[in-house]
Amino acid sequence: MTLTRRQFIRNVSVAGGALTLGFQLTGCSAKPLQLGNATDFQPDAFLRIEPDGQVILQIPKAEMGQGVVTGMVTLVAEELEVHPSKVGYEMAPVHSAFTDPEMRLQITGGSASIRVYHEILRQVGASARETLIAAAMQQTGLSRDVLEARDGQVCSVDGSVNLPYAELVPAALNLPVVTDVALKTADQWQWIGRYEQRVDAAVKTDGSARFGMDAAPEGVLTAVLLRCPWFDGTVESFDAEEALQTPGVQAVFATEYGVAVVAEGYWPARQAAGKVKVSFTPPGGGLRDSTAINDALLAALDGDDFASVRDDPAVADAEQGTLVSGRYSVPFLAHAAMEPLNATCRLTADGCEIWVGSQAPDVAQDVASRVLGVPRDAVVIHNQFLGGGFGRRAAADNVAEVVAIARQLKRPVKLVWSREDDMRHDWYRPAMAGHIEARVHADGTVSHWQHRIAGPSINQQVLPVLMGAMFPQWVPGGARQLVGDFVGKKDFASVEGSKELPYAFDGVSVSCHNVPVPIPLGYWRSVGHSHNAFVVESFVDELAHAAGIDPVEFRRKHLPADSRERRVMDAAAEAANWGHAAAGRFQGIAVHDSFHSCVAQVVELSLVDGKPKLEHVYCAVDCGQVINPDIVKDQMIGGIVFALSAALHGEITLKDGAVVQSNYHDYPLLRQTDTPPMTVVLLESTAPPTGVGEPGTPPAPPALANALFAATGERQRRLPLRLG
Amino acid sequence: MLAFSLNERAVELEVDPETPLLWVLRDHLSLLGTRFGCGMGLCGACTVHLDGAAIRSCSTPVSLVAGRSVTTIEGLGGNHPVQRAWVEHNVPQCGYCQSGQIMSAAALLASNPQPDEDSIRQAMSGNLCRCGTYHKVQRAILSVAAVAHWEPVAEDVS
Ligand code: FES
Ligand code: FES
Repeated sequence: MTLTRRQFIRNVSVAGGALTLGFQLTGCSAKPLQLGNATDFQPDAFLRIEPDGQVILQIPKAEMGQGVVTGMVTLVAEELEVHPSKVGYEMAPVHSAFTDPEMRLQITGGSASIRVYHEILRQVGASARETLIAAAMQQTGLSRDVLEARDGQVCSVDGSVNLPYAELVPAALNLPVVTDVALKTADQWQWIGRYEQRVDAAVKTDGSARFGMDAAPEGVLTAVLLRCPWFDGTVESFDAEEALQTPGVQAVFATEYGVAVVAEGYWPARQAAGKVKVSFTPPGGGLRDSTAINDALLAALDGDDFASVRDDPAVADAEQGTLVSGRYSVPFLAHAAMEPLNATCRLTADGCEIWVGSQAPDVAQDVASRVLGVPRDAVVIHNQFLGGGFGRRAAADNVAEVVAIARQLKRPVKLVWSREDDMRHDWYRPAMAGHIEARVHADGTVSHWQHRIAGPSINQQVLPVLMGAMFPQWVPGGARQLVGDFVGKKDFASVEGSKELPYAFDGVSVSCHNVPVPIPLGYWRSVGHSHNAFVVESFVDELAHAAGIDPVEFRRKHLPADSRERRVMDAAAEAANWGHAAAGRFQGIAVHDSFHSCVAQVVELSLVDGKPKLEHVYCAVDCGQVINPDIVKDQMIGGIVFALSAALHGEITLKDGAVVQSNYHDYPLLRQTDTPPMTVVLLESTAPPTGVGEPGTPPAPPALANALFAATGERQRRLPLRLG
Repeated sequence: MLAFSLNERAVELEVDPETPLLWVLRDHLSLLGTRFGCGMGLCGACTVHLDGAAIRSCSTPVSLVAGRSVTTIEGLGGNHPVQRAWVEHNVPQCGYCQSGQIMSAAALLASNPQPDEDSIRQAMSGNLCRCGTYHKVQRAILSVAAVAHWEPVAEDVS
């Protein structure tokens, strides 16, 4: 594909003389993309090269620690023949060019970024390279076959010509973009699979990295919001007399989301907020207490109202073998990212600008435009580094709030959530319950695997919000909710990781039942896998013990000989020296596929005074071609720490519809002292890259529960686990 | 009027003496590298040095630092041995907790230039990292401790 000359000139003119390589890679965009201009758009463009040769990549995904910036820069740098550390980057503005072609949103999730973009970005780099080489051909009269790109220059093979990219930019401006390019082959790679630095390490070390929390447009005030503790209440009345006496306080007023307290800085705002007396409309009906919710989930398991998502007929006789069954449950969980939610808004002539760290800036844009009553294009999102995301920052409730505040305040304002706000107004990983049973036969085979899952559907709540940004705004909210309700009956997020069993069991059936709750729900690192892996891999362990077979041996028996799961499990077992743990050490294993990757983990623990102590976690992963080995290992380890925090401590409880926990003392995370040593094995693969941000999380809780069983003989089927 | 030394420069400002140092740094002095995580002394994201010792700035009223010397992540200068080790080991993931981790590590190494793994774990246990960078933190600190010629800079000595 070649840009027409007219389109190309338009690109160039808006980019201030820089060579902009624009591609229509992901559908049509009517609006030109104007990088650097807050109110307009520019045609699709990932890359620009400035007259001084500086390469700048637009990052279409959120950087929340998973290393997507480094991964994307590396892919482009590889083909462009520029050292990754020399490639500049910017968080892409909201534009259809940056819409994820699979998810149809500019969203970061599903551990999909590198899987979806690895080839696109290599093409981006290769096209730029070939166009610069074409410019060099024109300039030197040499032919393509005697020129090559190397280290930011186009060179002739005889060494007589060495043209830095900067010198080729003016000529490249007038050439059609070369898009028919051959990508480098794996044996030619310099950086992919080898580069082990993070390009954002320095700014995250010297304090200069800017998160949403650091946005500071001219004249910005700080707001805090007093929200209703239960999720369906609104402000009935409030008394701000005393609060308004606090020095530095500018305004106190009600919004549809709560009472806003605005001051010069966070501290006076928070102090004043403590003096506001608010009454909220009383809570409505529905399930409002953790115990009631738990009872409802268990009652649902005993009912027969289930939607089937998989139902393979069994060959074996339904009366044969030993029936094994288990009932599992997991609690609500908070994301608890280190950066509390926040968002900053400045009204503009026709809309507003928002500074926020968002996993879905187009959803943020859509939400803001609805609150302000302006077209989406009138909302400009400046995406920032995210101080952790884990799914939480795909929601835009913080954005809706700040826009509602700015709309009334008519001054630039930053809304800062306290840690308590963040803990008590999350979009929670839902509490779930599962009943699972199967028949184990004398030869160790398994039949009649039946898994019933009861719990609230995430997508019934979240899809209508996301669809707001996917569809034209005239599509009514009611229609979006209808889709959500429909999906909620068989929510893929409820059953993922249980439906796709890697084991060759005879007669697998999986079904689910939606139990709606008046509590906001959201995606939490690995989503449905976060609970289904615990249930399935714990229960496989139960079956192994019922069959009297070693858990690794048992899994091996049921995993096809040439399967990826078996290779990964064997690698983890080998790293852990499975079966030969030192005296007093106990091991548990789990293997789980998620986000197109496969991860197996062995948790090893000891008993100190009868109390289990984590000693080591061994992890093996097959995630296809690795781009940055160090980052993949870090994601595995980070995913395990995240999972173990939940398995050992994580529990959000509700009382009268409000969340009880408030800060890190009652929602503890693993600390430096609690984190055991870990070993990560990356399996070699030349298959296309798959997910790494989430797949490290699901296996850790069942591997830990299985190790606990090995140590104590007690099967724990509920999270968080009790350690002595 | 409240006066203290901040990153080796004299600062004077008019502020409610109860205001936590964290918010004076961020909102009054626009030093944004020090982070707000919990506001209760539980996470360590707000760690700075007060006369060389690591403190939680979210729980330290600014009146307490009057006449004393405060160092923030910006004051380490970017080329501090701990910061160099952090970059070399790619410690940060999201990065949000890292200013606090680095300030705690720098204070630890200033008082104990050759800490063993256990003292590192103990000293760093007040700094939460939701991304789970604990191993890298440990490795980076050990790498600094292994450099025999590194002398803590004067500021870091309590
Ligand atoms: S913000 Fe100070 S310890 Fe968490
Ligand atoms: S790097 Fe993200 S919280 Fe530590």
